[in-house]
Amino acid sequence: MRTVAYYKGCLASLSAKELDTSTQALAPKVGLELIELEAVTCCGAGDIHEAEPDYYLHLNARILAYAEATGADTLMTVCNVCTLNLRQANHALKGDAALLERVNDNLVTVGAPPYSGGVEVMHFLWLISVGEGYELLKGAAHKGLKGLKIAPFYGCQILRPSKLLGFEDPDKPESLERIIAACGGEAVDYPAKIKCCGFPIIQAREDVALAELIQPIEQAKEAGADVMVTPCPLCHLSLDAWQSKLRKQTGKDFQMPILHLSQLIGVAAGLDASELKFKRHVVSVSAVTEKLAV
Amino acid sequence: MKVALKIWRYDAVAGERALREYEIDAPVEATLLDCLDIVKDRVDGTLAYRKSCRMMICGSCGMRMDGAAVLACKVRMSEVAEAGHIPVISAMGNMPIVKDLVVDMEPFWGKIRAVTPFLQPGYADPGEKENIVSQQRMDVIHKESLCIMCGCCVSECNSMEADPDFLGPAALAKGMRFVGDARDQATVERLQEYSGEHGIWDCTRCYFCQERCPKGVDPRDAIAKLGAEAVRAGIDSDMGAKHAKWFVTSAKTTGWLRETELVPKTQGIAKSMKEVKFAMGLLRHGKVPPPFPPHVAKHVEEARALYDLVKHDGAQGAAGIVQGEHALSRLEHAEDGGAAAERGPYGPGSFAEPYLPGEETT
Repeated sequence: MRTVAYYKGCLASLSAKELDTSTQALAPKVGLELIELEAVTCCGAGDIHEAEPDYYLHLNARILAYAEATGADTLMTVCNVCTLNLRQANHALKGDAALLERVNDNLVTVGAPPYSGGVEVMHFLWLISVGEGYELLKGAAHKGLKGLKIAPFYGCQILRPSKLLGFEDPDKPESLERIIAACGGEAVDYPAKIKCCGFPIIQAREDVALAELIQPIEQAKEAGADVMVTPCPLCHLSLDAWQSKLRKQTGKDFQMPILHLSQLIGVAAGLDASELKFKRHVVSVSAVTEKLAV
Repeated sequence: MKVALKIWRYDAVAGERALREYEIDAPVEATLLDCLDIVKDRVDGTLAYRKSCRMMICGSCGMRMDGAAVLACKVRMSEVAEAGHIPVISAMGNMPIVKDLVVDMEPFWGKIRAVTPFLQPGYADPGEKENIVSQQRMDVIHKESLCIMCGCCVSECNSMEADPDFLGPAALAKGMRFVGDARDQATVERLQEYSGEHGIWDCTRCYFCQERCPKGVDPRDAIAKLGAEAVRAGIDSDMGAKHAKWFVTSAKTTGWLRETELVPKTQGIAKSMKEVKFAMGLLRHGKVPPPFPPHVAKHVEEARALYDLVKHDGAQGAAGIVQGEHALSRLEHAEDGGAAAERGPYGPGSFAEPYLPGEETT
């Protein structure tokens, strides 16, 4: 069992609880023991990085410090945006002793532990798509997803900028496809799987965001997908909840079910309905469950 | 070495597009640009592309290789050739094609002009004495000054594909180059100008610009710096700025994002009232968490105290991002990925396409 510090982030704590419950239920089956961080805040979601970047750096340093205090060497995230924000701060702090010292002085002043740079930030997807996690996943996904056509949607901030993320080729990623294969499903390919879902500007620039959002859903549908899967709860929210707005704006009713990564694997691993929480989705997932006779 | 290329040709006279394959002998050190020169010299003299310096400084030879924008003179072809891969070469996206690999850069230059791309020092006569700017002050705009205006970032911009009027990564990075310049006296006017409908807050943070830039300008970070400077200057009436500020408010009150209040805080009460029906749909599925009792992080008093403490550290605004660049500059850029998608760049559902003269852009 590999012990990792677990940072839920905002959405998995509240509006995407289904991501948290399915991740927690799945973790032991793929060899992960999660130590959930409690005394942490929002990573800033890129917004605090843009509004008050020094505060962003301190908030993320504090999260990293509390992760380090658990004794784990890995901080596991379940959100693309948390992943980029934390990795960006981690690189800035690890690579600049003077900056780390100033930030640590401030952390200690407010009563938080200092950070010594001993934590690596890894997304759940990365931990289970290679190595031991992947081998355990293949065994855990015993129920399979036979006959299900699945469109992987990566989103942006787990791929780019690759110099900060760097897990896989940002133009030709394959971690989600590997997981879909391990679960016995069929991955469908489409160009927009690495493009933006529009979420960061969906409230401030809804029309621009919807013009981005429609591309992956439309392409996945045309490629014959029964369902889309994403490693990011923000992508999940726009893909799932904003489909009704696409219908209103374009007249196209995609009815495309969207699963969190942990839910897709969870179905193959036989997780309980109370852990998958499909009722929390805006677009019904029943087409998927019926096809698989879950 | 033998190099094979597939090139998307466009004949402006006949209005026809075609994917043609070429095979040439090239020296082992040849770049993509060298290979195009060989094709033009020995195989087909009608092939059109831009070039000038051949050493990554003029910014002329931006084009796409396997769907990703590159400078042709920066890409060595030996690995691609050894792998037996035949890359697809095409024109950059988000701009109209003139011929073959040549795009009309006028929309690009129009946006550069729109950000007033020159110093406004606030005086006409510089006088006798030199104004010396410290290295520290110049470091703020070091990366933005590296831009060679090749258009690779604009080619892939997801926001510009959705909103062709978006100022975009190149023009906004240019804007930051002057907002961050200690000698410029038009900072407030610039930030107001760039905070308009198609400005700073139009960026969707897809980070394609950052990924593609061949010079390390990191345009997305430049846009974030502009956002930070705008917020610091109190130029925050745009919904994007309000959205960003609400995250700060959330972090320093409850620690976690106060999700349900985000919509009215971003859009205002009147506009968000129009969203009631949509919100009710989300509410049924637990997507609108009740604001009371608030979800408060353990030891949130630390996050609150940090907010007050960092105010006095002199790293406000863009400086908060610049300070991280020292460490981040040591990270190597990942390889271009070479053999990216084998799909044709103009297939159904492809990335932002260059468009033909007279075509609608979206």
